[in-house]
Amino acid sequence: MPGWQAIYQQLKDRNFEIVAVAQDTNGVKDAGPWITAANPSYTALIDEKHLVSKLYNMINVPTGVWIDDQGKIVRPNEVAFVDDRFKNFSGLDSMPYLNALRDWTEKGSHSVYAMSEERLREKLTMNNPDIILAAAEFGLGEYLYKAGHLNEAIPHFKEAQRLNPKSWNYKRQAYALSDPKRDYGTTFMEEVEKAGGSKVYYTLPELTPRPAEQINQKPN
Amino acid sequence: MMRCGISLGALLLLSVACLPACGKETPATIIYDDRATEIAAADQDAGQLWITTDDLKRATGFELKPQGVCRNELCFPIPKSREREFVRKDAGKMWLNLASFAQLVHQPVAHDEALSAWYFGLRSDQRQGLSSLEAPDFTSPDINGKSHSLWDFRGKKVLLLTWASW
Repeated sequence: MPGWQAIYQQLKDRNFEIVAVAQDTNGVKDAGPWITAANPSYTALIDEKHLVSKLYNMINVPTGVWIDDQGKIVRPNEVAFVDDRFKNFSGLDSMPYLNALRDWTEKGSHSVYAMSEERLREKLTMNNPDIILAAAEFGLGEYLYKAGHLNEAIPHFKEAQRLNPKSWNYKRQAYALSDPKRDYGTTFMEEVEKAGGSKVYYTLPELTPRPAEQINQKPN
Repeated sequence: MMRCGISLGALLLLSVACLPACGKETPATIIYDDRATEIAAADQDAGQLWITTDDLKRATGFELKPQGVCRNELCFPIPKSREREFVRKDAGKMWLNLASFAQLVHQPVAHDEALSAWYFGLRSDQRQGLSSLEAPDFTSPDINGKSHSLWDFRGKKVLLLTWASW
């Protein structure tokens, strides 16, 4: 979060806002200390219900979405690191993404990193019934956990993980609420290894600039 | 013998008239729009969830109107030919099958049978934002409990970021 504060200081005068939303079932109790420590001047919110992940079909953190001044998505879900603290784990370099962000905050829809509408539609189409049902199973698990029924919540968290196996959020949040070895027979790192290792844990952002003719044709 | 036959017949008739609701209402918890409501008497069987229209209003904000199941401007008409799957009158009250209604509006439902808890997820109208490319709105509190909505920032470019403590 301190990293984002520095970026925000550099870019906020470009009619730009950062809205950072914690996806934490235990709300302020878990997310609060991080926010207090960073004391950001951008907008920091707490989303106990993981509603943002549900609405945007996000499967991991940190995830960034660019939204233009008309409220339209111009780049959908992608991994958004502000520094290289986790580079040893992910192999990801944060610089290309931050440079793209700087370019977009300056040029808006004329930025080569604003995606074409066609590509956006490809990426945003979401009609998989399993993924839609997974969100409800996760929501029921969260409710039962908070009502003091952890044992009853676990089968619903497992069902959410089965229906949307690509979601790391469903795994990691559930593991954080209990003993993963005992309740799920696994750990986060074991799951990462099963999925091919930490270097493929995050999907690289698509940062190939848009061809010039597309930009002049029609801004998004 | 005769009297017994009559009363048995009357009993049968009574149970048929009451089907499928009579005498088996049990408590349920409905979580709708991420808000939990306790229902004292619901008829929940085989994946169906019948509740009174009073409870419907309390739990979901929706009401049964001549034009359909409505909340403010939002209205979902009930197909005339399938009305019996959704609505019935019983013991002087109107009942709605919330599970069938969810199916009608493409809303996912997760159910915990042992705890009689029903979670209703995002309806198709709430998921439409992505295909229109409009960024779906949401409202969340900051650390001081003050609410902020994404759409408050209309007119600015926004980097929406999710993160977590875990």
